[in-house]
Amino acid sequence: MGVASALSYDGVSKDYLYSHLGRTTVTRGVAELNLQVAAGEAVGLLGLNGSGKTTTMKLALGLLAPTRGAVLVFGSPAGGRETRRRMGYLPELPYFQPYLTPSETLRLFGRLSGLGAAELGGRIAESLERVGLSAQADRRMTGFSKGMLQRVGMAQCLLHDPQLLLLDEPVSGLDPLAIAEFRDLLVRLREAGVALLIASHSISELERVCDRAAILAEGRVARVAAQSEWSASPGRLEDIFVETVRPTARAA
Amino acid sequence: MERVFILAASSLREQWRDRAWQVAMLFAGVMLYFSVLLGILAADQELRALLDFGLSFIELMALAAAIFGAATGVLREMETKSIYLILSRPVSRLEYLLGRYLGLVLSMLAAVSLMAGAHLILLLLRGWSFRADYLLALYGIALKVAVAAAVATFFALFSTSALSALVITGILWTLGHFIAEMRFLAARGGLSLLPLAALIQLVPHLQLFNFRDRLDIPASAAAGEPVLLATAYAALYCTCCLALAYALIRRKDF
Repeated sequence: MGVASALSYDGVSKDYLYSHLGRTTVTRGVAELNLQVAAGEAVGLLGLNGSGKTTTMKLALGLLAPTRGAVLVFGSPAGGRETRRRMGYLPELPYFQPYLTPSETLRLFGRLSGLGAAELGGRIAESLERVGLSAQADRRMTGFSKGMLQRVGMAQCLLHDPQLLLLDEPVSGLDPLAIAEFRDLLVRLREAGVALLIASHSISELERVCDRAAILAEGRVARVAAQSEWSASPGRLEDIFVETVRPTARAA
Repeated sequence: MERVFILAASSLREQWRDRAWQVAMLFAGVMLYFSVLLGILAADQELRALLDFGLSFIELMALAAAIFGAATGVLREMETKSIYLILSRPVSRLEYLLGRYLGLVLSMLAAVSLMAGAHLILLLLRGWSFRADYLLALYGIALKVAVAAAVATFFALFSTSALSALVITGILWTLGHFIAEMRFLAARGGLSLLPLAALIQLVPHLQLFNFRDRLDIPASAAAGEPVLLATAYAALYCTCCLALAYALIRRKDF
C-alpha cells in the first residue's frame, strides 16, 4: 500500500537488550512484522500476553525505534513531529495527574498538539461529550474509577481530530453500557475515514468493529483474518485466534 | 519553545496541587515560626539566629524538594506511562526534558518566594532592617536549586533509579559545600590524591552561591563579579547536566 497507507510496518523487528552483571540478554519484541492499515480501516491486533501488541503500537509512535525494517505513518517515518500531530493514542490503563480536572488535562494535551486557545474550549467540550464525561469536566480526577479514566484517555485521544488512532485495550475497565458507546464511537470514526489499530483481548469487540484482525504469536504476524472470514458466524474470530495461537502456545 | 513553557506551567500547577507539597509548605511555615522562638532563646543574637536559621531552612527545604522532584518526576512518569501520552504528541524529547525541569525549578522558586515572604514578615516584626543582600541570598539559593535539580535529573535518567539519584545528588550536594577543603587536601596529597583532584572538577561548586554570608558583613561592599561568575557557572553546569540527560533520553526506548 506504501504511501496510501495510514500506517505501514515493513519487515519490522524490535529486539530488547537487557544487561545484567555483564551479561546481555536479547528478547524479541516483534519479528519481521508486515502490516498495513489504510485510511478508514479498522485493524485489530490479537495475541497472547507478551506477543508484541504494545510493542507494535509503540513503534508507530516513535516511543521505540525498530531494530530492523521501517515503520511509516502517512508515508513518513514514525516518530516525526508532523506524523504524531495526526495520531491519537490511548495506552492501556491510562494514568492522569489526579489533582487536575478532565478539562485541564485535555487543555494540556490540546495545547501540546498545537491547538489554539480559540478552538480549544469547543474541542474539549466536544471530546468530553463524545465520551460521556461532560458532567465531570471540572471535577478533580482524584477518585475517578478505571472506567472514567479510560473515558478521559479516549477524550484526549480524539481531541485534536487525529486521522490515525492507536488504541491499546480501549474497553478495559468499562461497564457494558460504556463498551457499547465506545464501540459505536469507533464505528463512526472508522466510517469518517479514521484509520484504527486496536489491540485487545476482547475478541468479541474486535469482531464487531474491525475489518481485519492480525493475530500475533511470539512477535510475528501468524495470520491476518479478514472480516469476511468471521462475519457469517459470531464467535468465529475466537476460533480462528485459538487455532492460530494454540500451536505456538503449546510449543512455548 | 512554546511546548517547553506549556509543560513547565503544567508541572507547576501539578506540584502546587499535590497534597504532599501543600503539607510540606505548611510544615515550612510552622518551622519558620519556630525560628522566632530560637531567636528569643539566642538573647542578644536574636535577629542573627532568626536570619540564619530561616535562610538555612528555606535552602534546605527547597533543595530537598528539588532533588526529590527531579529524581522521581521523570521516572514516575515512565512508571505510570503518562510520559507516553506526552511523547505521542508533537513534543520532542528535549522539549519534554526542559519543560519538566523548568516546571520543577519554577515550583521551587515559587516555594522559596513564599517561604521568604513569611520569613521576611517575621524578621521585620522582630525589628530587622531590610537589606538588599537578603534578596541576593535568595538568588544564591535559587541557583543552588537549579543546579541540584539538573544534577538529580541527569542521575535519575542515568541510573533509572530514584533512590540512587537521590543518594548520589545528596552526596554531590554535600561535597559541593566542601570544595575549598577538598582542594586543600588535593594540593597537600600530591599524586596520591589525583582522583580527588579530578572529582573536584566534577562536583558542583556550591560555595559560589553562598551569598547569604554577605548578610554578616555590616555594609556590603562586595563587588558584583562573584554574582555574575556564580550565575555563569550555574548556567554552564545546568546546561552540561541537561545535555547529558538529553543524550540519555534521546535514544531511550519507552
